[in-house]
Amino acid sequence: MSRLSVLSPLATAAGGVKPLARRRGSLRGLRIGILDNSKPNADVLLGRVAELLVERVGAGPITFWRKPGASHPATVIDEVVAGSDVVLTGSAD
Amino acid sequence: MLGTDAFASLAEAAAASLGMPHLQLVAVAHPIGGIDPKLVRAKAETIVDRVLEALTRDPSPPFQAFVSAARAAASAPDDLDAFQDFAVAEGWSDGLPVLPPTEERVGRILGRLAGDRTEVIATLAPRQGVATLEAIAVNAALAGALPEHLPVVVAAIRALADPRFNLNAIQTTTHPCTPLLIVNGPIAARLGINAGANALGQGHRANAVIGRAVRLILQNVGGARPGREDRATLGHPGKYSYCVAEHEAASPWAPLHVERGFRAAESCVTVCGAEAPHNVNDHGSTTAGALLFAIAGTAATTGSNNIYLGGEPLVVLGPEHAQTFATGGWSKADVKRAIWERARVRLDRFSPENRERFAVIDPARFGDRLLADEVALCASPDDLMVVVAGGPGKHSAIIPTFGATRSVTVRIEA
Repeated sequence: MSRLSVLSPLATAAGGVKPLARRRGSLRGLRIGILDNSKPNADVLLGRVAELLVERVGAGPITFWRKPGASHPATVIDEVVAGSDVVLTGSAD
Repeated sequence: MLGTDAFASLAEAAAASLGMPHLQLVAVAHPIGGIDPKLVRAKAETIVDRVLEALTRDPSPPFQAFVSAARAAASAPDDLDAFQDFAVAEGWSDGLPVLPPTEERVGRILGRLAGDRTEVIATLAPRQGVATLEAIAVNAALAGALPEHLPVVVAAIRALADPRFNLNAIQTTTHPCTPLLIVNGPIAARLGINAGANALGQGHRANAVIGRAVRLILQNVGGARPGREDRATLGHPGKYSYCVAEHEAASPWAPLHVERGFRAAESCVTVCGAEAPHNVNDHGSTTAGALLFAIAGTAATTGSNNIYLGGEPLVVLGPEHAQTFATGGWSKADVKRAIWERARVRLDRFSPENRERFAVIDPARFGDRLLADEVALCASPDDLMVVVAGGPGKHSAIIPTFGATRSVTVRIEA
């Protein structure tokens, strides 16, 4: 079968790869921030995981923030960064 | 980042679009929403070890190739049937047959804009795909669009990238919404964009290929692949193509783009994140006040996004229904207010769980209310969109929208 040259419709994606923060070896005494994405029960899942981290490895305290709605970006990122050492958040449902 | 396994592909895409494809995602078994919180707490126990590891061990940096897809020529079968298999395998297709985007066909669509083919029109969520003029034209070529359709597609893409539209949410939501394109002004007749009989249906090339080109761009450039980043639970048939012109000649009122400050002689496209149309059949009513019953009754539903998220529900009035309102001396603003005042749902028609949830999301409308109180179909009468389209007959349509989105009108530079 002969071939045809076509242009790809996929285009390119903007942006590259950002470095992530260095992880610390232990969570003992580290402030846990929770950014609830406001989907139903996300706060329950995130909150329980954080509680377990407090119980098991002495992390804490825990602070909660909430997105203004599941379909909107968080408006409190600076506050979350300033008030947390590690952050748990949720994506989608 | 935490999520459920059913939505892991979207979580990964979200992280990648933010330049963090190596961010650790820990997934629990779907679902967590709509189940007893006790079960959710138990699911937390199953992932805590993985969360702990993710927070204490540095992730490996990804290969750069992960995020930079190619803009490249590809070698494809020249047999048209074999090309369909190729296009589906490459993820370029919507399932219907596509036409090969050869350099020659893409060049023809670009026409005098060929020299500007690298111009960036928009960056499209969720992938942050770069919609250059060329990328738009390549998808238009796939869709079967003609050179004269390109300016409408380009204007629609500009509109979709306006932050008010909230494209990331529209592209990735479980809700069945997709951009509906409403074309106003002289370009509609010039291109043969149907505004008359079967306006929201099949049979007109311009409507079909313009709407389809936009969908393919959202999938291929924006990166909303069905079942992966596009998380629609059901979707709707308008996701193949959803483009209509307003029937300005049959409307007793100013058209949509004039309401929004453009001149009647300008051509514009409005995008709204829309559900499928739901019909309003009223063959009996002969006055404006009587016609309101069926329209408001169809619009007032418990399961729409607009009722608790707000946004702009769309009312598409058939020309004969529009004339019934106009004969009664009603302006378009009168129609909007009357629908808004009549299209209400009693609070006891919502489940207790939903009343509680909606009161958190919109305390002004759902908080501290009696069960016998009513809420309107959207936050204010001005949020209702009313356009006129269709042919002879006694039908109109209600088109709910995503809610967390605003429609955007952009001038078409033709």
